[in-house]
Amino acid sequence: MILLIAALMIPALTGTALIVSGRAGSPSAEGNANTLSLVASVLTAALVIATVISRPVLDQSWLPSLGIRLHFAVDGISAPLLILTAALSVAVVVHARSRPPHGGSPATFYGCLQLVELGALATFLARDAVIFYVAFEVVLVPMWVLISRYGDSHDLAARADASGRFVLYTVFGSTLMLVGILALVQASGTANLDALASAHGEGLARHTQIIIAALLLVGMGIKVPIWPLHTWLPPAHTIAPTAGSVMLAAVLLKMGTYGIVRLVIAPLPVGFGALAPAFGVLGVVGIIWGGLACLVENDLKRLIAYSSVAHMGFVVLGLSSGTTVGLQAALFANIAHGVVSALLFFLVGGLKERWGSADLATARAALREVSPRLGFALVVGFAASLGLPGLVGFWGEFLAMYSAWNPAPDRPRLLMRVLVVVAVIGAGVAAAYSLRVLRLIWSGDRTTPAHEDAHGCEWSVLAVLVSAVLVLGVAPGLVLSSTFKDVAAITAEVSR
Amino acid sequence: MSQAVVSVNAGMLLPVLAPAVGAAVVLVTDVVVQRLRRAHYVIALVSLLVGAAATISGLGLGRVAGEARRTLCLPGGGQCMYVADSVGSTLQLAALLAAALTLLLSWPDDKLESPGGTAVIVSLVLAATAGASAVAGARDLGTWLVAIELATLPTVALVALRGARSAISGAVALLTASLVSFGLLALSAALWFTATGSGFLSPIAALGVVGDPARRPILVLAVVVVIAGIGFKLSLVPFHAWTPEAYDGAPLPIAAFLAGVSKIAALAALLVVIRAIAPLGAPPLAAMAIVSAVSMTLGNVMALRQDGVVRLLAWSTVAQAGWVVLPLAAVSSAAVHASGAYLLAYVLATLLAFAVIAALVQTRGAARARDLAQYQGLLRDHPVLASALGLALLSLAGLPPGILGLVAKVAALRPVVDSELWWLAVVAAANAVLGVAVYLRWLLTVISTPDAPEESPASSAPVAPHGAVPVAVRAVRVHTATLVAVGLTAVALVLTSLSPEILVGMLGS
Repeated sequence: MILLIAALMIPALTGTALIVSGRAGSPSAEGNANTLSLVASVLTAALVIATVISRPVLDQSWLPSLGIRLHFAVDGISAPLLILTAALSVAVVVHARSRPPHGGSPATFYGCLQLVELGALATFLARDAVIFYVAFEVVLVPMWVLISRYGDSHDLAARADASGRFVLYTVFGSTLMLVGILALVQASGTANLDALASAHGEGLARHTQIIIAALLLVGMGIKVPIWPLHTWLPPAHTIAPTAGSVMLAAVLLKMGTYGIVRLVIAPLPVGFGALAPAFGVLGVVGIIWGGLACLVENDLKRLIAYSSVAHMGFVVLGLSSGTTVGLQAALFANIAHGVVSALLFFLVGGLKERWGSADLATARAALREVSPRLGFALVVGFAASLGLPGLVGFWGEFLAMYSAWNPAPDRPRLLMRVLVVVAVIGAGVAAAYSLRVLRLIWSGDRTTPAHEDAHGCEWSVLAVLVSAVLVLGVAPGLVLSSTFKDVAAITAEVSR
Repeated sequence: MSQAVVSVNAGMLLPVLAPAVGAAVVLVTDVVVQRLRRAHYVIALVSLLVGAAATISGLGLGRVAGEARRTLCLPGGGQCMYVADSVGSTLQLAALLAAALTLLLSWPDDKLESPGGTAVIVSLVLAATAGASAVAGARDLGTWLVAIELATLPTVALVALRGARSAISGAVALLTASLVSFGLLALSAALWFTATGSGFLSPIAALGVVGDPARRPILVLAVVVVIAGIGFKLSLVPFHAWTPEAYDGAPLPIAAFLAGVSKIAALAALLVVIRAIAPLGAPPLAAMAIVSAVSMTLGNVMALRQDGVVRLLAWSTVAQAGWVVLPLAAVSSAAVHASGAYLLAYVLATLLAFAVIAALVQTRGAARARDLAQYQGLLRDHPVLASALGLALLSLAGLPPGILGLVAKVAALRPVVDSELWWLAVVAAANAVLGVAVYLRWLLTVISTPDAPEESPASSAPVAPHGAVPVAVRAVRVHTATLVAVGLTAVALVLTSLSPEILVGMLGS
């Protein structure tokens, strides 16, 4: 329990301290802020690993008048996400040693990163529905500051627009989610997520379940994002600083899918079952839509953002199948997308700084000629992104399509199979756009204008992520075995 | 025979009597010893704190439903004209402390003001506060009406006192609104008496009407008229028009008083009626739902368009008033508590924002402190004040780290969801977004750095009127009382954000 409190307190205190104190502006301040947040995030990561192993529970009364408890715990579904969050929080700080932030006080920058980590960890740990909502909101303001102050320095108005759009879309989603949560808590009489999951919606009328599930799905669908609610994502990713893009894609988007598993699929199986076909259709539209956008997009960061929309479409397809395999696929694809998008955003963020822009139309030196390390990492990243077997991207998408081909008995089988066929076409489009990017920036003979290759901290971060792509691709069981027991507990009732 | 006499418990009435006596003492002192300034403020603060301390006995009540202390009871165990329970006592405490904070913000400066005016200001503030405190405990029509007006009329004078053109027009707007509002409230009192035949605002009186088809519509009408009358005081659309005028025209501390104490008084008056009509059920409250939805929307949309921070806060008051009455669209005792909790969160955050503006008026001059565009770079120039302002704005927006605002939003939405008013919940969700846009627009200005670095803030800050001071390099210092006000409010906001139970629990459950 001490471990759990410490894992949350360290980022909270470090973040607050950095934001409140760090306006000195002296040259040493930047190094200090980086070192402090590095120490904090490494400590947090160690504590998170310890909590994942020892599985402590914190259950403390917080707001008795409203019946809200500070209830935190770890289970198989949240464990991989917690480790992903903690590891990437270390990675962004290490990466920023090579590529320092621009646009304001570095202390505020690192402080905001710590608070984003705090919010994400608390979201994945929360076992009280209302605390889940509070934690969900914690990430908003720090991420807004990261985008609006430390984003792409070329265009002030675009920064204000992108950060504003991010925060407003997300607030609308989370307030709808709050309405859904309150309705769920009122209808089922408990805010305890474990109790909600084990009740499997007993005693809730079908129409009540459908209304609540719809509110929650729209609310969290904005965060995922599900087509057509995705329009905040491309500008936010394009403008955000590298660290912001990484945390946004690899951690914050996961909060949406995780929330859908916890708050919709587990406690409202009937309501979700009724909405699942529509949900799956939107996911598959997202796959095609994102893929087609990637085929013509000329801004590399925006392209990766659209590819995120497509990848999250596979997650949605897996969720809508209603089977154990489908949920497993969705949770695995979640982690896979976290690792791959982090790798790609680190790469592209670095490239954008070197090139001065992320425009694909400009002729540049081929990466394999001038910067073989960056080139190698890029090839691995896009190969994983297109779902090459043996890399991490393969399993999530393959299993998602497999599960949708054999969905739960209450799902319309024909529709689901049509969706799988369309998703396969989407996977083909993914291959096309990945190869397009590699052809444009990786292959070729040009060697001018030259730029430096990755080394030091930047290279070590990229190397670790590349090895994660390979290891999880070869041994997906590392994640799947962690989630299996708890997923089976959820779907045992769904497929009854 | 003491049987025939109304029972009086002076200790229980202390939250009302203390500020009233304080006002009298201030006026008498002013007659006896002239040219005092600080003494008036000290007397006032003491009387407010005594009143605040006296509310504490009422705070613990309400753990059991209906538990309360009563006084001014009719002989023979009849009904009582004054009731102290957890909701009423909490609102009294908030009103008294908010008034104390207003006084800190208007603490006299040795150089700038001419002596003599302070006794008037202080006694008016105390009188209005006594009214606010009385209305929270009042349970009969007479006391209720008189207390509401006592809480309102002195504020008209307070707004007008500065004498500037904008102040007069603000005061006229406020006065007109109060008169119309008083007319409506008097009408509603008459309707109430017609319907129930009772001069008491109690559920027992309303209960007799429920089954009577002839009298029930009259009671419903009475409640609708109350909502309109109180709507003026709470700045609910369509009764809000005076708000930006009065806020902008009034001196800053008085604007803070209007946003704090006056709103507490208005909600206290409304809650007295709402709790009395609990047996009646939903019909009159449909009006509440519509008024709430429209207030939120219009307030937020207009606040988005403002370039002056005081006007922005005025429109934000309109929007937040919509949130305050949002839970009242549902019938439950939880709704009353939720409404009170939301009001307290709003008052705390707004007072902090006003305190920061007051501090900035002192260092940067009124023109600069009231212009939104001039807040650019505040985080760099005044990191502490900017952080406090940021916390206040995020609390109003209901985003962490302003967890108090977030919890208030949760509490306010809950009764609405519980009674399945889905359309209202969705309107509220949309307004949560608009509200965030309003406050983040301000916050974005605060945290952004100007492109062309200006001179240091001190040298560009307007110096005091006779300001031919050669070494005008140092900024004018913020008055200690103002800093104390900022500090106390900020600490209160941080503490209640860490543990909202402090505030929410006071109201009872």
